[in-house]
Amino acid sequence: MVLLRGFLVLIVFFMLGEAARVLIGLPISGGVLGMVMVTATLMVRGRISDELAEASRGLISVLVLLISPGVVGVFFIADQFSGHWMTIAVALVVGTLLSSFTTLWLMKRSAGATVESASHD
Amino acid sequence: MTDYGENLNRVFQLWTAGPMLSIALTLAAFMVGNWLFVRFGRPLWMPPVLLAALILAAAVAVSGIGYQTYQEGATWLTVLLGPTTVALGVPLYQQMHHIRALWKPILCTLPLAASLAAVYAVGIAWLMEAPLSILASLAPKSVTAPIAMGIAEQLGGSVALTLGGLLITGVLASVFVDWGARRMNITDDRIVGFALGLNGHAIGTARAFEISPIAGAFASLGMGLTGVFTALFLPFVFPF
Repeated sequence: MVLLRGFLVLIVFFMLGEAARVLIGLPISGGVLGMVMVTATLMVRGRISDELAEASRGLISVLVLLISPGVVGVFFIADQFSGHWMTIAVALVVGTLLSSFTTLWLMKRSAGATVESASHD
Repeated sequence: MTDYGENLNRVFQLWTAGPMLSIALTLAAFMVGNWLFVRFGRPLWMPPVLLAALILAAAVAVSGIGYQTYQEGATWLTVLLGPTTVALGVPLYQQMHHIRALWKPILCTLPLAASLAAVYAVGIAWLMEAPLSILASLAPKSVTAPIAMGIAEQLGGSVALTLGGLLITGVLASVFVDWGARRMNITDDRIVGFALGLNGHAIGTARAFEISPIAGAFASLGMGLTGVFTALFLPFVFPF
């Protein structure tokens, strides 16, 4: 019962997100809009109910289960992209290497600056 | 003998008429994947989602259910991705005090790093003359799955290819962030966690929780912010 109440809250916010997407005409998925709405609502309220916290933890813990049917698709669409596997592989490997290093470098630089200016204060 | 075979056939048709066999296969693959992951000693390059997907692909091929029938049944599970995306707002709220404490470096890093996570890969693919549908599929590669699927659909990409790219990106980000942090002498779990979540979405976040709870919290934050930022920004700038 408790879990279901939290689950209902999440579904209602998802539906609100979908409604906002269509009504405002934003090119953003209803789930993301619902997520922003939930975060904003919680920040305004300043607290979170146990049932909502439990329900979201439960759903997030089975995230891998929920995405696996979609991931399987990649093994069955192989021929569709057969001429491009090399491109996709290079883009993913080099792109991820560059972006991982960039993030670390940017964070180190800006966090270091924060720590430094704090110590100067 | 023929009767027996016919009856078996009728049972199989019964199972595949509804979503039950799809759901059973998906649940079983998820559990076996998790079990194998622990058995293998939690290898960085072989996360549960990769194991589950490999098992599932083999099971779908061997069981004779057929990819189309399997996907129709699996919709009963994947429909939950919507509410699950909404659920990601909860850890985002719960970690708001972390955002406030480190808001400056996060704000400096996020827009550039999240954009580059998409731009590097799309740029490389574009230089290698990939068609637009592939560029659209690769663009949300660092975004958490439920959001990425929405973005790929909106941009006209292939959701299956996006998810494949997501899987590879998540695994690679776990390996590369680990390597980069050692090379750059970064020992701050908050930075490592944030980089894992920003580049490696849910897979990187799962990895960050193995390092420490702080790294996990910052990974969730990086994942959530990248998801929102990319979802808001990508549909407006694509295709440039």
